[in-house]
Amino acid sequence: MTIAVKCIELCKTYRQGDTDIKALDHLSIDVETGGFVCLSSPSGGGKTTLLNAIGGLDKPDSGEVWVSGQRIDQLGKAALADLRLREIGFVFQAYNLIPVLSARENVEFVMQVQGVSTDERRQKSQAILEEVGLKGLEDRRPAQMSGGQQQRVAVARAVVSRPALVLADEPTANLDSKTSDALMDLFSELNERHQTTFIIATHDRRVMAHVPRLIKMLDGRIVDDIAQTPV
Amino acid sequence: MRTFRILFMLAWRNLWRNHRRTLIMLAAIGVGIWAMIFMTALTQGMVNEMIKDGISALPGEVQVHNPAYLDDPNINNLIATPDSELEKKFTGAGLVQWATRIKVPAVITSERESRGVTLLGIDPQRELGMTFIDLDNIDGRFLEDAADNAVVIGRKLATTLETEVGKRIVLMSQDPDNEIADRGFRVVGLFGASQESFEETYVFAGKETLQKLLKIGDHVTEVVVSGGDYRNVEPVFEKVSALVDEDLQVSRWTDLDSYLGTMLKVMDGFVLVWVIVIFLALSFGLVNTLVMAVFERVREIGLMLALGMRPSSILGQIVIESMLLLFLGMFIGNVLAWLTIIPLQGGIDISIVAEGMEMMGASSVLVPQLRLQDVILANCVVLVLGFLASLSPAWRASRYEPIEAITKAN
Amino acid sequence: MGLIFRLAWRNLWRQPKRTWLTIGAMLFSNVLLIFMMSLQFGMYGLMIENTLKAFTGHMQVQAEGYVDDQKMRQVVPDVRALASTLREELNSENVAARARGFVLASSEERSYGIAVLGVEPAFEPVVSSVPGLVKQGRYLDSYDAAEIVVGAVLARNLKVGLGDEITLLCSGLDGSFAATVVNVVGIFDSGIAELDRSIAEIPLGHFQDVFYMEGAGHEIVINAPDVEQAPALEARVQGLLPAGKDLVVQDWNRLQPGLKQAIQADMSSSFFTYGILVVLVSFSVLNTQLMSVLERTREFGITMALGLKPQRLGWLVMLETCLMGSIGVVLGALLGALLTSYFSSNGLVLPGMEEMAAQFNLPVRMYPRITLLSLLAGPLVVFSFSLLAAIYPAVRLRWLQPVQAMRAA
Repeated sequence: MTIAVKCIELCKTYRQGDTDIKALDHLSIDVETGGFVCLSSPSGGGKTTLLNAIGGLDKPDSGEVWVSGQRIDQLGKAALADLRLREIGFVFQAYNLIPVLSARENVEFVMQVQGVSTDERRQKSQAILEEVGLKGLEDRRPAQMSGGQQQRVAVARAVVSRPALVLADEPTANLDSKTSDALMDLFSELNERHQTTFIIATHDRRVMAHVPRLIKMLDGRIVDDIAQTPV
Repeated sequence: MRTFRILFMLAWRNLWRNHRRTLIMLAAIGVGIWAMIFMTALTQGMVNEMIKDGISALPGEVQVHNPAYLDDPNINNLIATPDSELEKKFTGAGLVQWATRIKVPAVITSERESRGVTLLGIDPQRELGMTFIDLDNIDGRFLEDAADNAVVIGRKLATTLETEVGKRIVLMSQDPDNEIADRGFRVVGLFGASQESFEETYVFAGKETLQKLLKIGDHVTEVVVSGGDYRNVEPVFEKVSALVDEDLQVSRWTDLDSYLGTMLKVMDGFVLVWVIVIFLALSFGLVNTLVMAVFERVREIGLMLALGMRPSSILGQIVIESMLLLFLGMFIGNVLAWLTIIPLQGGIDISIVAEGMEMMGASSVLVPQLRLQDVILANCVVLVLGFLASLSPAWRASRYEPIEAITKAN
Repeated sequence: MGLIFRLAWRNLWRQPKRTWLTIGAMLFSNVLLIFMMSLQFGMYGLMIENTLKAFTGHMQVQAEGYVDDQKMRQVVPDVRALASTLREELNSENVAARARGFVLASSEERSYGIAVLGVEPAFEPVVSSVPGLVKQGRYLDSYDAAEIVVGAVLARNLKVGLGDEITLLCSGLDGSFAATVVNVVGIFDSGIAELDRSIAEIPLGHFQDVFYMEGAGHEIVINAPDVEQAPALEARVQGLLPAGKDLVVQDWNRLQPGLKQAIQADMSSSFFTYGILVVLVSFSVLNTQLMSVLERTREFGITMALGLKPQRLGWLVMLETCLMGSIGVVLGALLGALLTSYFSSNGLVLPGMEEMAAQFNLPVRMYPRITLLSLLAGPLVVFSFSLLAAIYPAVRLRWLQPVQAMRAA
């Protein structure tokens, strides 16, 4: 079994007002390729910080981050941008889409920056949009879609170029329960079909119940690492 | 290239996201560019007229004199080379047009009045097309040949002297021995000129007649040469310099009329200053628009960075947006300028301030002159400076930390 | 009122960069306008003063029609007596009689056609700057001596120095041939090539003898304390002229028509420039205020839902513009005054100035002149246009529907 993400002894401290907050406290974690992991903690527990460190969006104070066998915590801005472009897909809580682009164009955005040819882009985006159930809505702008539809577009964009790793930060926070379930089903389906590694940060219980591996965090440390049968 | 396409598309769509702001900015840039080009064309038109008038009064872009003549325009400071020899040298030298003349100060007296004038002895055949006189607009006739022993004077001078075609006047000047040389002449023609001062100052007589009157044999005081293009006098200047004896002074019109020469030089500087001033007034609005555009889109920019777009692409995207805005504005401005200048090609009548324009040496009809190089200058300045002005907001945008930008509350 | 004012002020600084950029546009134009206008007014003032001081004066009494043709026989009869009456009546020394003729001036070696002025040596120095510009020798001092003062260039061209003789040939008032020999006693150098080349002065008495003038002259120059007071004085002089002799008072604008028109031509082209600047600033303000209104749509919706009338919000936007404009005016006036006063004490030299200066009777170094007008006119116009530009965004608020507005992102 290969390791997709490896974190060793990560530390990260924020200053908020006049108190220091330990967002990551000597945290180590391994996620195998094709894993489907949920990070959960009360807010401020460090899950977003961890996710950002893995995604190369934030630098830890100390420790090492390895993604697909490459150490990333010392890379420069441009190299990190390339890494995110080629290896990682992101789904954020909100403001996931570029408002001036249609659903299809948002999905194609990453590929276009990667330099994928028009035909290939069109083919892949069409397939993935159908897969996430947005057939017929390809030309809508984000403002013309519901929250759930917008998140589906974001998911489609995150997985369309077959990244090794998809990071999702509270993807269901703005969705109702039905839409959340549908989104999680979509995640597991994609995880199984494409062997894509998923790491999802959330405090939504419905999401936690959906994954085979649940990691609970508190004050920047892992307090529990549970293997479970998804619902 | 692919990246450029997506950047271009993003920039274009972002430009129209806030169409009111964009339209206002386009109007501002359009008006600015229009003003740059229009004002420059008017100024160039004025300078052009001034210089054309000025040169036609000289006339000729290049002149040859005895070195002492310019400071002391006296009959004693003749060109040593005899006129017939000059003729031989200049004929067939490949010059567009040239003439030898006598130009001396004189006093003209009618029965009623006297005035100080500049007396010109010319060969009318040679002067055609070089003088400021409109030959179709002469009361009476112009001189017929170099031996014509009548004179042609300006209309204004005729009024002042209370004389008219057919009447006699007396011209007084001096010969080389400072004996008063005077003679009665019949006025055969009255000329009009674009500037009243020309009509008051110049009196035309036959060259050979004057040579006899002034007792200077086969000599003249100046050779005037025209090359056709006053902006490019060097070739003519060099040709003429090679042609004449070394002890003669060859001058360009810019040396002869330093006011006009300076005007021509200063004008290009003036155009540049004017273009830059207008641009600066525009730049505040431009930078403001870009700063706002970036500020409103912090989260999107963060998102694009997080998705793996390089900071340089973000910079490029903002700069492209700014360039698109400028190009569109420039297009509007250029079209406006063209539309306003073309109908004015017949000239704008500004005779209300004719005497003031004459004081500046310009005539009272202003023909805007649209020069390609001025249009290019205005557009280039706007592009280059606009590019520089957009760098700062664009640079800021590219330096955002993706995570901070995404989570920024609006 | 206090609350609205505070609200407007704080709103302005919610986007400090935008506000400063807009104020920056105002400042730029204001400073430029103040500087340019001060420079222009300074220049115009000098052009008028220098040109008028040389010979023309603020006004002249002449025979009707003389101003156009300057014919010898268009005379002011008994010119000295009239000049002296005017001096008494106006209680001013600033009155001098003159006669003017065109002659052929011959020295031993050279002859040139020039204009000769017959002047009153006692009063000419009061009305004209030329006597003060005598650089060699002295000015005329006797009313009828055969003496002459010539311009520097003319002296050079005629190859004469102090003590040399010049023969003047001309036709007299009656058309007969006239001649005199005069002694060069002084050479003036005004720096204005046209004057230095073509003008000479002899005593009026001698002039009248030579030209058979029988006591007549051509003009009486009268100066007011300054140009602004000239029109009032002109009216008084008009009333003092003897009736029935076809005498008129010509003001400086009639005597030097090119001067005022040159100024007008220059002014109209400058005002075009200023107009463009003001329009561009207005666009800037319009843009800023429109943005600021649009991004506050939601906020405005809430305040309207709370019962505030749209008009009040409109006034708020106007007040914000007003505050911004005031900062522009105050800072602009300050900076503009600083910049301008630096140059008004140190002078300003532009490339090409020398030739331009000679053409328009100006010194080579320019000194801008700050007046209340040049200091405030520009900024106040910019201020007014900024308010005008803010009307559209302010009025837009009237069509705002509270519920829709609150829903806006």
